[in-house]
Amino acid sequence: MKVLTDYIKSLFLLELFKGLNLTGRYLFKKKFTVQYPEEKAPVSPRFRGLHAQRRYPNGEERCIACKLCEATCPALAITIEAEPREDGSRRTTRYDIDLFKCIYCGYCQESCPVDAIVETRVYEYSFENREDAIMTKEKLLAIGDKYEAQIAADIEAQAKYR
Amino acid sequence: MSEDQTVTIEVDGRELQAQAGAMLIDVTDAAGINIPRFCYHKKLSVSANCRMCLVEVEKVWKPLPACATPVADGMKVFTRSPMALAAQKGTMEFLLINHPLDCPICDQGGECELQDVAVGYGSDVSRFVEGKRVVKDKDIGPLVATDLTRCIHCTRCVRFGAEIAGIRELGATGRGEHMTIGTYIEKSVDSELSGNIIDVCPVGSLTSKPFRFHARAWELVQRESIAPHDSVGSSVNVHVRRNEVMRVVPCDNEAVNECWISDRDRFSYTGLASEERLTRPMIKQKNGWMETSWHDALNQVAQGLKDVAGEQLGALVSPSATLEEMHLAQKLVTGLGSSNIDYRLRQGDFRGQESAYPWLGQSIEALETLNAALLIGSNVRKEQPILGHRLRKAAVAGANISFINPMELDMNYASSQLVNTPAGMVDDLAAVAKAQGASGDIIDSAEVGDAHKAVAEQLKTADNASVLLGNIAVAHPDYSLLCSLAAKVAETSGAKLGFLPEAANSTGARLAIRTDGLNATAMLEHPRKGYLLMGVEPAYDFYNPALATTAFDKAEFVVALTVFRSPTIEAAADVMLPISSFGETSGTYVNAEGTWQSFAGAVSPKGETRPAWKVLRVLGNMLDIDGFDQDSSVDVFNEVKETAGDRQPDNTVGDATDSERKVAAGGLTRIGDVPLYAIDPLVRRAAPLQQTKDAISASIRLNAREATRGGFAEGDRAVVVQDGNRAVLPIEIDPNVPDSCVRVPAGLAGTEMLGGQFGEVTLEKA
Amino acid sequence: MGALIGLWEWLGENLIIIQIMIKIVVIVAPLMLAVAYFTYAERKIIGYMQVRIGPNRVGPKGWLQPIADAVKLMFKEIVIPTKANKLLFLIAPLLTLGPALAAWAVFPFTEELVLADINAGLLYILAMTSVGVYGVIIAGWASNSKYAFLGALRSAAQIVSYEIAMGFALVGVLVAAGSLNLGDIVNAQRGEGGLFNWYWLPLLPLFVIYFISGVAETNRAPFDVAEGESEIVAGFHVDYSGMPFACFFLGEYANMILISALTALMFLGGWLSPFPASWVDGVFLLGDGIHWLFIKTAIFGFFFLWLRATFPRFRYDQIMRLGWKVFIPITIVWILVVGLAVVYQMPWWFD
Repeated sequence: MKVLTDYIKSLFLLELFKGLNLTGRYLFKKKFTVQYPEEKAPVSPRFRGLHAQRRYPNGEERCIACKLCEATCPALAITIEAEPREDGSRRTTRYDIDLFKCIYCGYCQESCPVDAIVETRVYEYSFENREDAIMTKEKLLAIGDKYEAQIAADIEAQAKYR
Repeated sequence: MSEDQTVTIEVDGRELQAQAGAMLIDVTDAAGINIPRFCYHKKLSVSANCRMCLVEVEKVWKPLPACATPVADGMKVFTRSPMALAAQKGTMEFLLINHPLDCPICDQGGECELQDVAVGYGSDVSRFVEGKRVVKDKDIGPLVATDLTRCIHCTRCVRFGAEIAGIRELGATGRGEHMTIGTYIEKSVDSELSGNIIDVCPVGSLTSKPFRFHARAWELVQRESIAPHDSVGSSVNVHVRRNEVMRVVPCDNEAVNECWISDRDRFSYTGLASEERLTRPMIKQKNGWMETSWHDALNQVAQGLKDVAGEQLGALVSPSATLEEMHLAQKLVTGLGSSNIDYRLRQGDFRGQESAYPWLGQSIEALETLNAALLIGSNVRKEQPILGHRLRKAAVAGANISFINPMELDMNYASSQLVNTPAGMVDDLAAVAKAQGASGDIIDSAEVGDAHKAVAEQLKTADNASVLLGNIAVAHPDYSLLCSLAAKVAETSGAKLGFLPEAANSTGARLAIRTDGLNATAMLEHPRKGYLLMGVEPAYDFYNPALATTAFDKAEFVVALTVFRSPTIEAAADVMLPISSFGETSGTYVNAEGTWQSFAGAVSPKGETRPAWKVLRVLGNMLDIDGFDQDSSVDVFNEVKETAGDRQPDNTVGDATDSERKVAAGGLTRIGDVPLYAIDPLVRRAAPLQQTKDAISASIRLNAREATRGGFAEGDRAVVVQDGNRAVLPIEIDPNVPDSCVRVPAGLAGTEMLGGQFGEVTLEKA
Repeated sequence: MGALIGLWEWLGENLIIIQIMIKIVVIVAPLMLAVAYFTYAERKIIGYMQVRIGPNRVGPKGWLQPIADAVKLMFKEIVIPTKANKLLFLIAPLLTLGPALAAWAVFPFTEELVLADINAGLLYILAMTSVGVYGVIIAGWASNSKYAFLGALRSAAQIVSYEIAMGFALVGVLVAAGSLNLGDIVNAQRGEGGLFNWYWLPLLPLFVIYFISGVAETNRAPFDVAEGESEIVAGFHVDYSGMPFACFFLGEYANMILISALTALMFLGGWLSPFPASWVDGVFLLGDGIHWLFIKTAIFGFFFLWLRATFPRFRYDQIMRLGWKVFIPITIVWILVVGLAVVYQMPWWFD
């Protein structure tokens, strides 16, 4: 009996019509498309976008060159060089993130003991030259300075879950 | 209970055989059972003050420290029992009370014993809410950085100073929480082995200053190598990151350097990044030096060497060059029809018949077991620090160590020193020989004093004695006399004759280089038309820099294979070929005890530099000389092995006691020793080493009596005149210099134009 | 107006070639426009079925998107692989596009509106659609690339297989209509029953098989193994860019329109009104007319897109099985049935 029904189903392409029916119905469904530049989807405080380096309120950079982010980075996107600054403190002389290598996993932010490297909500950026994709320390600090209020608020919001 | 009796103990249910009286931790370490520890170190005395190694022993009601508990027959030990674990966890908690949580900025982070043990035995939260202790950091010199807040008071560094370095430079002051490690008065740690306290420190309290904050342990790739600065051939690990040598640390090798290395071997890597590094071949032209391609440079060198081929060519090779490089250099010189090649650049006297393959005369380890030793013209502590440490161990165990030197040495153990003028050294040695009953031209005329008798007696009565010749002796103008006399002394006293070779490959050079042509000095005294220089700086690496400079100036063609460029090389050479330095090239060194130690490059050669053996090989090909088809340094090594692999060390020296004496008593004699941190081009460019106390700058050192006689005061500038050459240098009063002598060290900036390391000088007011 | 007609007749007498050219332009120009907007329709419709809205940035509602695409393709560099056979490489796209356009020569849009009203129209159509496959095979071979070659082989085997089923399906139509002239075939479907007089009903299996074979013939999903992005990158046209690529693209869409129009012509009565002639004769728009043909063609065009949005790609062996072991036997059997029906003049269609 089953053989017979299967045969009939197959002969009259029942399954195929079911499929057509489904796509046919979706043709008239409401569309979810967000009209991107004019409309924007909501962004979570946990969003992992462009990186930034933060400073303390007194203007001192937070990064202490502990290199945990470099060690934890699964894509080996971070390169750090460090040496003592004139005042004897441990500081980076080079802090590069290669955004072509970066997979935006957020481990660097996770591993940072001083909340220096963070991933901001910024996702609208582009490069015209390959070398622009290397985020240097200066660029990262500039981004941090620009979005500090937002970054601080996001970290505050997430503090209790960490 | 006798010492060699074995007992059986049980650790964690495992039966172990152990020597009676051995400490428990040694037994468990040998068996691979891990017990956490901080203060225990296998080369240092037991202090049992960290309490981390507490273990439970059956029938003992409290936990015992494994490092201070001797094993006894039938002992049952539990290293992971609840009692042991509770004790260890408790200790850990106390240790962490005052330890700051600054691992992210601590250089020890990632290779920290405290970190590791805290992971295994610590608690995850601290119950300590009170304020933590803070200790002000102290400046203890350019090599070691301090962060004393991190100190856990294990006192390893203190014990290292007292027991290994031989000077109690560090100590603990204060009690309890206020105990701090320091130098008590503000001073630096100046031992030539001071870098080892970085390794013994289990936390980040003492760290390397040149390496400070530069890299993390986990970024570094460890490559084995051999230290290139003395004839010990210490095993080292070169730590590399992104093709850059970041630091050098010792590699355990009981037969050679145990677990220590000298500061020179540890910090010389800082010279690799020197601004004077030559990275491209350069050709001298009318209007100065011009960078060029390897192709052009090699063509010019090949042409230049062809033009001066034959006996008019002389090759001077650094004794720090590898066996492979020396072998190819010899082949190249022979192929060009010359027999003039030498590596004994600082030897003062070539008259005697030298031994065929001079060496230490015993193994390095055997130095420890000496009962008596006579060192002639040797500042072994600074020249070969690791050998100095071995001799110190012998001295501490009761050996009588005597010195015949042209100056009083600052020793870190009890020794008898016969200090005399360079001419007097020969007399002293002859007197010792006479006191032992030897005879000969000089010996018979020697006056024997009590000191000589004592030394002779010590050598004679000792079961295990050695007569050793050091760097100062080699540079002595009557070296052949000293050699013959030393051989006589050794022969009559039954002691072993040994040499303390100067450079990493001084011993191996004999295997690769045939010295049957002109010797190093003769090549300069009878100037050649062309010279091949390898790894040497004319003004600093020769017995007589003035002679060398003039010879090179007169020569038609000088090619320098060099790691660095410097004014003296630029003045001498016509073409500079950049070669790879320590850590960048592969090769073999034969150390003082005759051990062949091969090593591979740790990083790739900097810039356009090439390993010297490759440069020589290509030159050989360009000059159409046979036998330059090696594909790797291993091929070259095999060639050397084939020709010289069977040669046994041989210290037999010919009798030269009837030779004429070159240095006469009377007048002022220069003592031109080479200071610790001036011995080779790399060390001379290691900035941190040059900031240490041992890195002296050129000066005229004489004792107060001589100073008064000449009317000089400390700090005056005076002119020292040698062979008509003048140098203006400051006066320093040094009570260690004997009368009628003036110590003007060689190998330092300011001494370029002076003559031989020893010789007659006059002082004039500036 | 009179002058224009005069000019036209004058052209017909003296410069026939110009006249033909004008006729061709009159057919091809709207066809190309239709192709352009068919791509737009495809993106919009598939977008809608995937709950998104498709292109909407270029021009109002994205209406200028096809123009933008065309301009882009025209200005792109034509890359010719070093080891490609240059001549064949450039001929291949033309071989695909040319027949797809040439087939329209015999296509009757209405009773009178046909460029070349030849008797063997159906044969001509079959010939033209078969030539298209040469373009694919030559493209695959000339590219000197293994993906392109695989694509070409697949395409060749597939088209050859489905050509047979398609041919048999048309034989059914031909038997039913008794003519190879496309206009006659349409007229044979005229009857009092309106849409029930059309051949889709008596030839239902052939109708289905013809359309499905048409999909396979045009290498469209779910029969697009010749392109097979996920397996062989882009199949036969992997090495093409710029205008040569555009030619393949145009050819494919022109073929789709052609197949849709032919299906409409042969099974859905072409320009005939679906209503019985007696009801709507003379009523504006409800009577016979070219607009009916357009509507029917559009419905089949929509079907092409709907299939693509719905079905995953067939496995290659399944395609072969379907063609040889299902479609060909069914068509043969049904030709017999139709033959008997025609011989015995079965009402309503064959009486």
